[in-house]
Amino acid sequence: MPPVIEVMDASYVYPDGTQALRAVSLCVETGEAVALVGANGAGKSTLLLHMNGTLFATQGEVRVAGVAVSRPTLNHARRTVGMVFQDPDDQLFMPTVEEDVAFGPRHAGLVPDEVERRTHEALARVGMVHLRARPPYRLSAGEKRAVAIATVLAMAPDVLVMDEPSSNLDPRGRRRLIEQLRSFEHARVIATHDLELVVEVCSRVIVLDGGRVVAQGPVRELLNDEARMLAHGLERPHILRHLHPH
Amino acid sequence: MHMADALVSPVVGGTMWLAACGLIGHSVRRIEASAKDHLVPLMGVLGAFVFTAQMINFTIPGTGSSGHLGGGLLLAALLGPHAALLVIASVLTVQALFFADGGLLALGCNIVNLGFFPACVAYPWVYRVIARGRYGPMRGSVAALAASVLGLQLGALSVVVQTQASGIAELPFGPFAALMLPIHLAIGVVEGCVTAAVVAFVARARPEVLPAADAGPARSLRPVVAALLIAAVLTGGLLSGWASSHPDGLEWAIARVSGAEEAPAAPGTWHARLSAAQERTAVMPDYAFRQAPRDARTDGSDGASAEPATAKPADSSALPLGTSVAGVVGGAVTLLVISCLGFVFGKRPRAV
Amino acid sequence: MAFRMAVERWLDVARMDGLARQDTPVHRIDARAQAVTTLLFIGVVMSFARDELSALTPFFIYPVAVMSAGRIPAASLLRKLAVAMPFAVAVGLLNPVFDTRPALAVGALNVSSGWLSFLSIVMRCLLTVSAALLLVACTGMPRLCEGLVRLGVPRVFAVQLLFLYRYLFLLADEGRRMTHGIALRSPGARGVRFRVYVSLVGHLLLRAMARAERIYHAMQARGFDGNMRPQFASPMRLADPLFVGGWALFFAVARVWNLAEALGVLLMKGVG
Repeated sequence: MPPVIEVMDASYVYPDGTQALRAVSLCVETGEAVALVGANGAGKSTLLLHMNGTLFATQGEVRVAGVAVSRPTLNHARRTVGMVFQDPDDQLFMPTVEEDVAFGPRHAGLVPDEVERRTHEALARVGMVHLRARPPYRLSAGEKRAVAIATVLAMAPDVLVMDEPSSNLDPRGRRRLIEQLRSFEHARVIATHDLELVVEVCSRVIVLDGGRVVAQGPVRELLNDEARMLAHGLERPHILRHLHPH
Repeated sequence: MHMADALVSPVVGGTMWLAACGLIGHSVRRIEASAKDHLVPLMGVLGAFVFTAQMINFTIPGTGSSGHLGGGLLLAALLGPHAALLVIASVLTVQALFFADGGLLALGCNIVNLGFFPACVAYPWVYRVIARGRYGPMRGSVAALAASVLGLQLGALSVVVQTQASGIAELPFGPFAALMLPIHLAIGVVEGCVTAAVVAFVARARPEVLPAADAGPARSLRPVVAALLIAAVLTGGLLSGWASSHPDGLEWAIARVSGAEEAPAAPGTWHARLSAAQERTAVMPDYAFRQAPRDARTDGSDGASAEPATAKPADSSALPLGTSVAGVVGGAVTLLVISCLGFVFGKRPRAV
Repeated sequence: MAFRMAVERWLDVARMDGLARQDTPVHRIDARAQAVTTLLFIGVVMSFARDELSALTPFFIYPVAVMSAGRIPAASLLRKLAVAMPFAVAVGLLNPVFDTRPALAVGALNVSSGWLSFLSIVMRCLLTVSAALLLVACTGMPRLCEGLVRLGVPRVFAVQLLFLYRYLFLLADEGRRMTHGIALRSPGARGVRFRVYVSLVGHLLLRAMARAERIYHAMQARGFDGNMRPQFASPMRLADPLFVGGWALFFAVARVWNLAEALGVLLMKGVG
C-alpha cells in the first residue's frame, strides 16, 4: 500500500518570486501522526497547501494515496486529505455550524439523509452537537476550532492536515484538542509551534527551515537535541526536560 | 444620499425594483458565465469591507468637516462592474434591513442611484477609459475624480427625478436639483480623491489584483466619454433651468431624460413607459405623475384609485380622505387602541 | 471621536442578530411568508393618497402585533426609527411651505394640505421602516436569505450577501482595533488625517482580500466547484400561508375602507 502522502523533491516559487519550498521530500504513512515544525516563514503552511492541491509544486511532485496531485486528480486529493486551516474564521463561512459541517458532504454530491447523518456524526465526534444551530461568530475560539475539525471529519478523509491547531486556545481548549487529536485513527500532519502538543500527539517530527527539510526522526530523539532545535529557531520543549528517562 | 421609502410612490418604487432586478439578474448571469469561482467569497468580504470603511471618518483638510468612503467606484475598480453592482446592492440591502437607511420600497431606487450609475456607467465609460490599467498619481486621480463626480451627479439627479415622479414631496424640481447637485459635486470630489488614493495604495502593494494595463479594448472611447459628459452636464443644466421656470415642467423633463439616447436614460425610459401605461389604464394615483395635480385633487378625486375598481369609496364627493373630523377622531382612537394593545401584549410574554 | 458612533451601528447589527434568534410564534413563521407579507404591507401603505392620514392608522396594528408577538423591544425599534427619519422628514417639511391650501379646520385651527401630506409622510415612514426592521429582527439574515433564494433570488447574490453578513463582524472588529490604535496616539482628533486614513483603509482592504483568498481555499478544500448547494430546507407549515393570507386580507380591508373613519363615525353617533 502506498504512503497516504508522499512529497518528492517539491519546490515552490510564489508568483512574486519568493522561493518557499526547496526540493522537499517526505512521506506520511497510514494512521501515523507527523509534526511539521520550523520557525515562521520556514514554509510549513505552503507545504500543507500542496497536500490538497491548493498550490501545485513548481518542480517535483506530491502524491496522495499513490496518485500524483494535478488538476484532473484534484477531487481525489481533496476527498482523501482534509485540511484544517489556521484561522477557523476562514473555514467557518456558512451561516450556522450545521450548514458549515454539511458543506463538504453536500458538495461531494451525497444524498440529503447521508449529509444529515455525516453532519451529526462529525459534530458528535468533537462534542459540538449542542451548537449546531449557532452562527460561527458566536462561538469561543475552542468551539470554533472543534467545529472546524468537524467540517473536515464530515468528509471522511484518510488524512487530517492541520495548520497551527492549538493557536489562540485557552489551556482547557488546548487540552481537549490534544485528547481529540490523539483519539483520531486518521493519518495526521500537524504544522505547529506547540512542541508540547507534538510530544503528546505525534510519533515523528519533520523540521523545516528556509523551505528545506533539515531534519526528521522520532519526536523524543529529535526534540531533545537542544543545539539542533535552537539552530532552527526552535527550542527543546519543557515537557521533555521534566520527563525522566526510563 | 439614500432615497427614503416615504418619498417614493409604489409606481416609481416598483419600476426601480424591476430595473434593479434586471440589473442584478444580468450581473449574476455574467458572473456565472465568467466561471470565476473565487469572486463569490471575494464579493462578500469586500462588501463587509465597504461597510467597515464607511464607519471610519477622515478630516477634510481646511473645512473642519469629515468624510468617508462610499465605495461604489472602488468596488468596480477591484471587481469589475457586474460583481460591484451585486456588492453595492447587498450593502444597500443590509443598510435597509438593519439601519433603515432608505427602506425596502426605495431599495430599487437606491440600487439604481448608488449602484448602477457608479459601477455600470461611470466605471466602464469614464474610469476604465481614462485609467487604462495604469493607476499612477496623475492618471488614476483624474480617472477616479471624473468617474465619481459623474456617477454621483447622475445618482443625485436620479434621486431628484424619482422624488418628483413620486410626487409625495412637494419640493419643486429646480430648487431640489439646485440643492442636490452641488452637494453631490462636493461628495463626488471627496469620493474621487479617496478612491484614487486607495487604488494607488493597492497598486503599490499588490498590483496583481487590479485589472492590468491594456486589458480593455484598444479603440479610443474618449470621444464617446466626452460626448457623454457634455450631454450629462447640458441635460442637467437644461433640466434644472427649465424646471425652475416651469412649475409643472416635470412632464417635459422626464420626457427629455427618457428620450435621450445615452446609457443613463435606461431606467428613465422604463419609468416613462410604465407611467404612460399606468396613465392609460387609469390605475395610478393622480399624484404619481402630476400633470395638473392641484386640479385633480380639488375637484374631488380622492386619489385612492391605486387599486383598480375596488378602491372607490362610497362617497366620492367627500373631501380628500383623512380630512373629515370623523377621520381625525377615528384615527386618534385607532392609534390609541393599538398602542394600548401593544403595551398589554408586549408585556404578557415576558411575564409568563 | 466619530468612529465610536459608527461602531454603535455595527453593534446594532449584533443586537438585531440576537433578537432574530429568539423562539417566538413570529420567529417560527417561514421567512418567505414574512418577506412576502412585509412587501405587501409596504406596497399597500405607500399606495394611499399622499395626504391620507386616518386611513393609515389601522395599519399600525401590523408592526405593533409583530413586535409584541416577536418580543422585539419597542425602545430599540424607536431608536432606529429616530435615526432613519431625518431625510424623509427634512424633505417632507417643505410640503407645508410649498402647499398652503387649507384642507381641514379643527375648531379655529386651519390645517393646510401641506401639513397633512407632511404628517402622512412621517406616518408612512414610521410604518414602512418599522416593517423592514421587524422583518430582519424576526427572521435573521441566514433564514431570510435562504427564504429569498426559494422565492427566486439568484443564489450567487444570496450567498455573497451571506458572506458579507458573516464577515461584517470580523472586519468591523479589525477596523475598530486599527482605528483604536490610531485614536490612542492622536487624542482629541475628530477623524483621522487623509494620509493616515488612506493607509488605514488600504491595509484593511488588503487584509480583506487576503482573507477572501483563504476562504476560497477553504471552500475548495471541501469540494466547492462554483455552485452552492441548497441548504437544509425547513418545510412550510400551515401557519405560514395563514399568516400571509390573514394579513393580506386585513391590508385589503383597511385599504378599501377607512376603518378609522368608520370608527370615528360610530363613536360620534354614540356620543350624539
